[in-house]
Amino acid sequence: MTTLTGTGGATTKRGAATKWRGGLAEVVILLGLVAVFSILNPTHFPTLTNLATILNTASIPVILGVGASAVVLTGRIDLSVEGVMGAAGMTFVLLSANSRETADIGWLAWPAALAVGAALGALTGAIHVLAKVPSFIVSLGIWYVGLGIAAVLFGYEMIPFLTNESAVAWPTATLAGIPNSFLLALCVAALGVLIERMTRLGRAAYAIGNNEAVARMTGIPVSTFVVILFAFAGACSGLAGVVGSLALGAGAANVGVGMLFLTLAAIVIGGTPLGGGRGGTLRTVTGVLILSTLYNGLILAGVDPSIQSGVSGLVLVAAVVAAGWSQRERLRVFK
Amino acid sequence: MNSTLKSGVGAKLRHGAMTLAALSAFTLGGAAQAEVSQPTYDKSDIVLVTTVINATNPYMASWIEGSKALGEKLGLPVEIVQSNGSSQTQIAGIQALAAKGKKIVLVTNPLAASDVPAIANTVKQNGGYMVVWWNMPPNMEPSQVGDHFVAFGTYNGVTAGECGAKALVEKMGGKGGIIALPGVLDSTVSQERVAGLKNVIKDYPEITLLDEQPANWDQAIALKTTQQLVAKYGDQIDGVWTADDGMMLGAYEAIKKAGMIDEVKFSGEGAYPPVVDLMVNQPDGDVVAGSSFHRGYKAAATGLLIAYKAAVGELDVAKLSEEQRHGQYAIDCVTPSNAATFQENGGIDPTWLDRLVEDPFMDLVGGPVAAPQG
Repeated sequence: MTTLTGTGGATTKRGAATKWRGGLAEVVILLGLVAVFSILNPTHFPTLTNLATILNTASIPVILGVGASAVVLTGRIDLSVEGVMGAAGMTFVLLSANSRETADIGWLAWPAALAVGAALGALTGAIHVLAKVPSFIVSLGIWYVGLGIAAVLFGYEMIPFLTNESAVAWPTATLAGIPNSFLLALCVAALGVLIERMTRLGRAAYAIGNNEAVARMTGIPVSTFVVILFAFAGACSGLAGVVGSLALGAGAANVGVGMLFLTLAAIVIGGTPLGGGRGGTLRTVTGVLILSTLYNGLILAGVDPSIQSGVSGLVLVAAVVAAGWSQRERLRVFK
Repeated sequence: MNSTLKSGVGAKLRHGAMTLAALSAFTLGGAAQAEVSQPTYDKSDIVLVTTVINATNPYMASWIEGSKALGEKLGLPVEIVQSNGSSQTQIAGIQALAAKGKKIVLVTNPLAASDVPAIANTVKQNGGYMVVWWNMPPNMEPSQVGDHFVAFGTYNGVTAGECGAKALVEKMGGKGGIIALPGVLDSTVSQERVAGLKNVIKDYPEITLLDEQPANWDQAIALKTTQQLVAKYGDQIDGVWTADDGMMLGAYEAIKKAGMIDEVKFSGEGAYPPVVDLMVNQPDGDVVAGSSFHRGYKAAATGLLIAYKAAVGELDVAKLSEEQRHGQYAIDCVTPSNAATFQENGGIDPTWLDRLVEDPFMDLVGGPVAAPQG
């Protein structure tokens, strides 16, 4: 295998050795942020209530991140998350008890929304592999297709509010101090880890990202697997759309606004290179926690809103540099 | 607040006199359309165009509704240009319609002030007419750009901010902590509304402004931001002031989920139907103190009508007053005591459109809005 290295390069001994050290770096960054913000606001930051707030903020990006990192592992990218969230979220709201009284199919609205997400994801994957167009541009298009579907579903009528109060209260309700939305996100993350480590699909994702030509030669059905992984990412975005709509208590086409940046940044900060082949779900979860802590901490530390985005951008760049330092010789261009 | 209202009334009276003069000019010149100074067109050569940032924001949805209602009244189809948050898409959309050959009659709520010169050029080359709402570069005046830029209209953001703030602090009993959610920091509209909030709390020494966190005019972001502020201030929060009702709905949901809905009051801007409903039906108690009322419906219909009347020669652009070329339009304050009235017909009197067609400057209350102080 080592003789066949093209763009990918097989895992070297040095790469294997740095793998876990790299994982530790992100945890250290996270703990560092927690320490700094605890000093800056000792009364409010290090509390259980605030922990629940941070975890709740993190839950949607974690769900998105699990799907997105599965795609990134293969060296592809899925930019459609915000649009898919909108389409799936609106589907969910209009199929649940709502103030427009469109329809109420009960719990079936969940799988329906996930199916919308999975279908849009599969569409992205299929166009990408069949027409051999970069996933970057296909998913960018599908983002707007999703947004378009959401806008059509929203129509020109009034905001559809979810009328089932207990469903709306569910994401922020806590179990042992942890919000339900985050517990759900953890389940999705566990599923992601399971797929990565225990299934042929997951192992193939690493192989494809590492060296696609070799993967094809070894008989891995690359195209099929890529489409399945995009569908999985779409379903995750769909679930994120449902959780986002529940959090708002209403349907909104732009329920996913700002989530793409957060998700991709979390993947990279977590240490999954956009070139694929390494990293994975757990790293992305750490990346999301870093960003959610940063967002929460800056507000609690009383940083002026005008300089918040600048500061978070700088911290982001610093985190990426720090996390990627050990692998700086191995960074590749993403596809 | 009172002084603004009074000056508003004064302006309305002054304007009434102007309208009479203008109306008599219309009736005299009504049939003889060629007498106006600007080029005019036959109705069949005109296409009505309206631009929106997206179609999913309630303000924009109402804007489209108003444009269509006027189009129906005039018997002309309405083309909708959606910018999806992109200035380039917006300008390209208008240019594409201009290229089709008909004369454009445009009402636009431009994404950014800096888009206006490009849009004005497109309309000028097409020979059409336009009215702009909300955003215009500070050094621009329709009367100096030319007859094709018929008018610029806006609402007084300071008055709007004061309306919600006044209702809020009174409902809070004149004391307690407020968190404020502006739109985006560099938006003039948001700055004006925040200035209104600050004007009001100056008079209430026991009111503290705990924090100001812009929430991007977005319900989802307002929800997230409020959750962080709840973690920071907890019980210190007695009131939430927001620069528009979309953000108020997000903040409301966050406070409700934090189990604090009984202790916190809210105010917004725009009197979105769901917010008016919260005031009327009070599902979580009497917690929404107030919002200011204006509708995309009215703005779009008014603007489109002014541009249309210029295009067909029912209105002489050269004879319009300074305030008609660049003025501010009426805003109402909605509180739980009068919310039910606003809920009927979505707050728009069924005769409004008919009255508007008689007098497109019906709701004009004064000249340009002064820049916010501090």
